[in-house]
Amino acid sequence: MALTASFGALAAEPGLAESLMSGMAKTPPVSTPFVQVSYRGVLVRPLVVSGTLRWLGGDRMQRDIEKPFKETANIGDGELSVQRGSGEVHRMPLARAPQAGAMLAGFRALLGGDVSALQQDFALSAQGGTAHWVITLAPRTGQLKRQLASIVIDGREHEPRCLTVTNANGDSSITLVGAMAEQGLRSAAPLESALAARCRNSQ
Amino acid sequence: MRRVARVAIWFVWLALIAAIGWDVAWHLKISSDLRDFVPPARTADQKLLLDEIGKGPGSRLLLLAISGMPQARLANLSRGLDEALARDPAFAHAANGGNDLTEIASDLLPYRYLLSPTLDTHRFDAAYLRAQLQQRVEDLSSPAASMLEPWLKRDPTLETLKLAQLWEPPRQPKLVDGVWFSDRGEALLVAETRAAGFDPGAQAAAIASLQKHFASLPGSARAKLSISGPGWFGVQASRHTRAEADRFCTITTIGFVLMLLLAYRSAVPIVVTALPLLSGAVAGFALLAFIFGHAHGITVAFGFTLLGVAQEYPLRVFSHRRVGVPTSQSVRELWPLLATAIVSVCIAYLAFFASGVAGLQQLAVFTIGGLITAGVCTRWLLPLIVPPARRDMAATPGLAQAWHFFAHLPRPRWLPWLAAAVGLCVVAFAPGQFWQNDLSALTPIPKSELQRDARLRAELGAPDVRYLLVLRASTAEDVLALSERVAPRMHQLVASHAVGGFELPSRFVPSAETQKARQAKLPDAADLRSALQQAMEGLPFRAGVFAPFVADVEAARELSPLTPAKFEQSPLGARLESMLVRQGEGWVGLGTLSGVNDPAAFRVLTKATGGAVHLLDLKASTESLIAAYRHRILIALGVAALLLCIAVTLALRSPRRALHVLGPMTLATLLVLVVLRACGIPLSLFHLVSLTLAAGLGLHYALFFERRTGDDREDLRTLHATLVCVASALLVFGVLALSSVPVLRAIGLTVALGVAFHFTLSVLMAPAEHLRREN
Repeated sequence: MALTASFGALAAEPGLAESLMSGMAKTPPVSTPFVQVSYRGVLVRPLVVSGTLRWLGGDRMQRDIEKPFKETANIGDGELSVQRGSGEVHRMPLARAPQAGAMLAGFRALLGGDVSALQQDFALSAQGGTAHWVITLAPRTGQLKRQLASIVIDGREHEPRCLTVTNANGDSSITLVGAMAEQGLRSAAPLESALAARCRNSQ
Repeated sequence: MRRVARVAIWFVWLALIAAIGWDVAWHLKISSDLRDFVPPARTADQKLLLDEIGKGPGSRLLLLAISGMPQARLANLSRGLDEALARDPAFAHAANGGNDLTEIASDLLPYRYLLSPTLDTHRFDAAYLRAQLQQRVEDLSSPAASMLEPWLKRDPTLETLKLAQLWEPPRQPKLVDGVWFSDRGEALLVAETRAAGFDPGAQAAAIASLQKHFASLPGSARAKLSISGPGWFGVQASRHTRAEADRFCTITTIGFVLMLLLAYRSAVPIVVTALPLLSGAVAGFALLAFIFGHAHGITVAFGFTLLGVAQEYPLRVFSHRRVGVPTSQSVRELWPLLATAIVSVCIAYLAFFASGVAGLQQLAVFTIGGLITAGVCTRWLLPLIVPPARRDMAATPGLAQAWHFFAHLPRPRWLPWLAAAVGLCVVAFAPGQFWQNDLSALTPIPKSELQRDARLRAELGAPDVRYLLVLRASTAEDVLALSERVAPRMHQLVASHAVGGFELPSRFVPSAETQKARQAKLPDAADLRSALQQAMEGLPFRAGVFAPFVADVEAARELSPLTPAKFEQSPLGARLESMLVRQGEGWVGLGTLSGVNDPAAFRVLTKATGGAVHLLDLKASTESLIAAYRHRILIALGVAALLLCIAVTLALRSPRRALHVLGPMTLATLLVLVVLRACGIPLSLFHLVSLTLAAGLGLHYALFFERRTGDDREDLRTLHATLVCVASALLVFGVLALSSVPVLRAIGLTVALGVAFHFTLSVLMAPAEHLRREN
């Protein structure tokens, strides 16, 4: 498992988030399986996709969806490019999709343990203990706030487990990483509350 | 006359010049409208060129590059500058790659089904909608989901996004941090001025405003902003020319003052000689203001050059004064010859008035009015302010020896004929281009800047400033329809690499016919609802979520097609406005092209459209206009030369004497041409005007040398006057010949050469028996 981290003593203290994150610092390339469950107001049931997340170093990330369809998303140089299947590559500047940028910055912080990059856009806070800890990222800037309510990272001991992104309009997505992702989902369309509980749960 | 009275008159004279000059400066509008200065357009393309000169889409574009910092900070500067330019009324539009076209497209949102090509190939039936919705489900899992989500309910087929992509520039530089960057790591922007590209005043104001915006951005002090494009070059050229002219002016003024002191050993000529010339200039301007109300910048520049002849009038007076004889008497004795010179030149310039070209008529009025005023001032006003002469210039040391030297130069009679014959051969047969038609060869823009412009243009995919695709039809609607028909052929030309990219007016607004055809394919609400219901089966979308989509489609069925006029009110309107223009009875569409590799390939297009579409080569059209203009000037000059011959012959009342005056003038002019041709310098209009000035000066030299006074000392005074005049002309124009600005160099070199030849030949071809009368 690529994602292992040695955490020091945990306490609900200021500076905990930073020490948690810096404890996770890894040398790229780093990769982890993921399962993302999206809850959208326009949809009657959640969308589930799974694949691999890769941090290639610097600000370059790659997110490959393997199921239920193939898609490769690359982020780097301020640009987001998405290719679905063998179709056309769509490119757009991250400045136009701030939320995508923030989400990927969150993943990158998770994998790379780089707090400094996050602190420009987010206020960080942390709480919990070894069995379960939570880092909350609250957006600082107006543009980001209009789209994004919060990003919450749940973890246990040495490992981050879940990344929950809540949009300003109430839509949300929960992404399981590491061991949690390897375990997979217990239902094809898990309830948001159930999945959130699983993230908090120490099992 | 008493000293006090003289000084008082001098002051009044100066004050009058200043007052009239001030008043005229207020009333006279200096225009830079080239239409004043070219003959009436004959072909439709020339007409289009004149109507659209500098207003065309490409020529108003400024290309900007910001460098010298890390890319992230350059990107910030680029965004800051883009925002400032968007608010600046001097600019029609600005782009740095970061502009979100979906925002712009939302203005035209109700029309999206009429503007987007989707309905040309698809229908909003269950199958198509299902495929689209399936993709939207997948989109919702993508990192860009947040971008699409706001549109989803209204626009599940993403027509807005398709329009935004359609309206993006055909070729774009790479994006870093959301803005354009060059391969060298410069942040790139384009800004389109509202002012025409060749309106140097307005361009300078727009550029100054742009530079101010940049300077006020935080952190811009250490970054470098480079500007390029036709407007920038125009401003640079006039700034560079003015700076150099000013610098030379200082040098020549100092030299001129020293020379006058040396020649006359008195400060009086220094404070007096300029007055007749200035009076002439002010009178010329006043006439222009009175008759035309405005003057072209070129008229003023050429006119001032030609008026330089008047500088000689007061100098002649100073050289011819004698001790104990009132200045007024010296002037009176000199006047017949001076008047002959003035009148002959003025009669010659009448030819310019008859040319029928507004700019040349202005030139004639200015020059004739100015020369007569300068002459009259010299004759009647100058004597009033000049103190009595204290020394006779004939006694200047070395002058008698100089006369002796000139008088005893060998004068073989066959030499002028041989020189003329050889000269004609050289002029006719020297290799190299005879005329300079390429105006850009005259711009003082350094090669490095031109290369940078080409590089930025290529990186930005900015339209070519040389070529335009012209589409002619009787109505704007027909132009759009024509543009649609041509588009597939243009794509073929891109595929065959004849052209790098193109932008046609129909890209922004399709023809009404096309819009109606798309509209007819829109299903009614009931059909669309049932198709949607089928399409959504098995997909996780909430029922009724696409109600806004159904409502929008229903509304679009009732819309009347989007007209160009309406589109022009949108934020993208400026782009269409410059591509769809009215000309006379008809309409013209202007397609912009980038990277034209094979102009000949466009003939296929012309053939296929029965001549309605063709490639306009702005360079060739401009050159044809310049050639036509030069043709007029040459005719005017020919007639002027003829009139001059007649005037001089009549004034001197002897063809033989006239030959002694006109012979050296003609040969000297020919010899200047010989030198220019032998050096491989193609002739421009500036050379022609300079040749004319030199001929005017030469007329003076020849007239005065030909004069028989029967008085040795008067001959010496003539020589003194001529030497001072030649030295001052050589000083002024010789320095100009060293200029790095091609136009100034052309004028300086031609006049300096001309003065040297005219003087030498006037001496050599003057009647020998007359010169050799020993003292």
